[in-house]
Amino acid sequence: MGKYDSVAVIGGGSWGTTIAHLLAKKGNRTYLWLRDKTIFQEIKNSHRNKKYTLEHDLHPAIIPSLDMREVVQRSEIIIVAIPSESFREVAYQMGNYVQGDQILISACKGIDLQKCCTMSEVLKEETCAKKIGVLSGPNLSQEILKGHPAAAVLASKYHEVIHKGMDTISSPDYRIYGSEDIDGVELGGVVKNIIAIAAGMSDGKGFGVNTKALLVSRGINEMGRVGITFGANPLTFTGLAGLGDLLVTCSSMQSRNYRLGYYMAQGKSMKTALQEMGSVAEGVNATKILYRYSQKKKLETPIMDGIYKILYEQHSISDITASLMAKLNKFEIDRTLYELIKK
Amino acid sequence: MFRHLNKDSLKNNHITYKGHILKQEHKERVVEEVISRVLSNQIANADKVSLETVINDTIYHARKRLEAKKTTRKTKKSILYWKKLKKRLIHSSEEEQKKILRELITHFTSEIVGNFNPKVYKFASNVLPVALSLMLNALSPCNLIKHLPKFPDLSERIIIEGEIELIQSLQKVGTLILVPTHLSNMDSIVIGWSLYKINLPPFIYGAGINLFTNFLLSYYMNNLGAYKVDRTKTAGLYKETLKEYATCTLEFGYHNLFFPGGTRSRSGALEQNLKLGLLGSSMPAYINNLIHQKEKPNFFVVPCTLSYQVVLEAERLIEDELKVSGKSQYIMEDDEFSQFGRIYNFLQNLLKLDSKIYVRICPAMDLFGNRVDKEGKSYDKRGRQVDIRQYVMQNNEIVRDEQRDRQYTKDLGEEIVKSYKKNNVIMSTHIVSFTIFCILKKQNADMDLYHLLRTGGREDNLPLNQVYHALHTVMERLKEKVSQGELAMDHDLQNAPVERILDDAINHFQSYHKIVVIMRRGDRLYPSDPKLLYYYHNRLLGYDLEKEIE
Repeated sequence: MGKYDSVAVIGGGSWGTTIAHLLAKKGNRTYLWLRDKTIFQEIKNSHRNKKYTLEHDLHPAIIPSLDMREVVQRSEIIIVAIPSESFREVAYQMGNYVQGDQILISACKGIDLQKCCTMSEVLKEETCAKKIGVLSGPNLSQEILKGHPAAAVLASKYHEVIHKGMDTISSPDYRIYGSEDIDGVELGGVVKNIIAIAAGMSDGKGFGVNTKALLVSRGINEMGRVGITFGANPLTFTGLAGLGDLLVTCSSMQSRNYRLGYYMAQGKSMKTALQEMGSVAEGVNATKILYRYSQKKKLETPIMDGIYKILYEQHSISDITASLMAKLNKFEIDRTLYELIKK
Repeated sequence: MFRHLNKDSLKNNHITYKGHILKQEHKERVVEEVISRVLSNQIANADKVSLETVINDTIYHARKRLEAKKTTRKTKKSILYWKKLKKRLIHSSEEEQKKILRELITHFTSEIVGNFNPKVYKFASNVLPVALSLMLNALSPCNLIKHLPKFPDLSERIIIEGEIELIQSLQKVGTLILVPTHLSNMDSIVIGWSLYKINLPPFIYGAGINLFTNFLLSYYMNNLGAYKVDRTKTAGLYKETLKEYATCTLEFGYHNLFFPGGTRSRSGALEQNLKLGLLGSSMPAYINNLIHQKEKPNFFVVPCTLSYQVVLEAERLIEDELKVSGKSQYIMEDDEFSQFGRIYNFLQNLLKLDSKIYVRICPAMDLFGNRVDKEGKSYDKRGRQVDIRQYVMQNNEIVRDEQRDRQYTKDLGEEIVKSYKKNNVIMSTHIVSFTIFCILKKQNADMDLYHLLRTGGREDNLPLNQVYHALHTVMERLKEKVSQGELAMDHDLQNAPVERILDDAINHFQSYHKIVVIMRRGDRLYPSDPKLLYYYHNRLLGYDLEKEIE
């Protein structure tokens, strides 16, 4: 027997539980590490996680665990699906046991509040692992649990991560595409959350699909501007982790960020909306961090700026919509993007 | 802990090269090993790239290189050789192709392979600096009489600081790979001398072939353990032979020195994009060491920054940087380094003006970019010990994976760049140039860089008060950054008033550069050479200081 006999998912939220389900279904010996003892017992006894994956039956081979040491020490591939707010703390904890031959994959579409860095960067800082990857794409948990066909991108600078990850995760229902553009894949997942809030607001206001198409296409443009400064390849944003994810999150009530925008457009405050949702909307923190970043780098990101003003400066959605529409007419693909690409 | 090298620690230093120099018997084994490895690799890959293709590629690159050169009897002869080889190849069997390939690899290896002569090393390290000092001092007979027998000492001018004790310890538990920044051809001399002064054995290093054609240095280069790197040779076979040579010397436990910038920084800025070819040879060497269960398999990468008040070849380097076509002119054989008078002026300046060169030894790291302690143990960013063998293992077995190892080296390169940035020692010429050039940029915001460099801006002078004010702001911010460990600064500047910093920079510029860089007249300052200002200003790029200038 090799050194490792399992794979692991860190985080028992909806996405973590869904990935564990996929891995177990594929026949991997799968650990699911979580902190919540009630959910631990629930998965162990009834193979369900009602809080996050509702009535879906989870694969019975999932091994829920509260023991980080055991989970990490027995798993060659560890997928981390923890919200960005506690990602660093959990990564540090993992770092006590991680060794250099292990593969860590972030499945979190957030950005680190403390250092304005991506989750893969956090894994680098908090553990000794070098073989790090990112899993992202248009993946609504509920659909994946139902076995609907779906796909994601697994990005890493290390081909070993991509190949082993593909072998471990992909299944007849779930395709994995590889990419070397870890920055692009990660940034796509982060920025789309902000655009999803805007799309929710648009639907909440009763605007039609024209408005949404406008938001999505201009959102991709902003994604490109931000992504390039992180070293991303702009083409990545036209793929699953960019456009693909944006299409899903901008049109489904299953998306937490979309729901947040929708509720706010109906007159609820951000605080109330988040309380009612009872789960984390990564776009909230991402907006704050990327707004600051964009200001610092003098990037043109009007949608993100508008969402920031609505979330944090109490501007009204109508005012922001009006100001966005009142912007000077310009070319669709302007020189700034070309210049950023050239740099 | 960072340590400043004091004079006591320089006393009683002795050459510890015994067992470290490339011994004759090792040299023969290294050569044999290189030839055998490169040949085996080529034969093993022949199903992907045939031996014929490899030989043809080598011939093509050699002819292209020679045909671009001036026609001399020597080049004609060489071209003829390659033509004949081409004919031989056309009619060759597979066995004959292997023979040709072996000949080519042997030819490249014998060209690359270095030499080491302890006598020359001892002379160069010990006698040469004193002789230079004496010669410079003797310029003035009064000085000669006045100062004799107290000779000016280069150790007062070349400040070696940083993790000296750490690398002294690490050389006992593994093999060192020194990766300095590269500004000037003086770097090799300065580093060689510094290593000697801190009791380290000589390092094997790859020096550009142009240094071997330089009348002043060729003798020493040939005898100080340098091996030849001909950057005009672009054939894959040559590059592979070169890398394999570095790999073999590392495996034999010889400390190596690579300039990962590849060439001198043309812009004066710190290296950002490293050329990792030679550094990449450390990973296969490490894996081979593990496979062969070597007693000391580990390598320790030691970044090192070199900072000069004035740079010997600054004028030519920045010209080259700014010429679009100049960027392809990779090797300059007629720059200031080949002019004895300029070296003489430079050294005179060094001694006369209390000028300093900082050699800052940065914290060492393993091949994966982790920090190491003096016992050679590696630690992650949170201070937890790391077993680095795991990085090259899968299921408890050592596994070779070229893509993985290339990426490890890229990641290591990023850590080296970060280390350079933190250990960049800023001197008066950098601060003053940065401040003035930023003022010029702000005042001429509508001009592009080349326009500004050509014209120097609309105004030909600046009010001195404005410069002092901006210098003060920049200095305050720099001090904060120094205290936060984001960069380092010449010790004399920490508490110096801005007036003195400006004077110091002007004096250094005036005493060395033929062109007036900045000039003061009354209460006005005249930036006379924007290109050199730009060159020295570039050393402070990347610290987000531009916004400090109003």
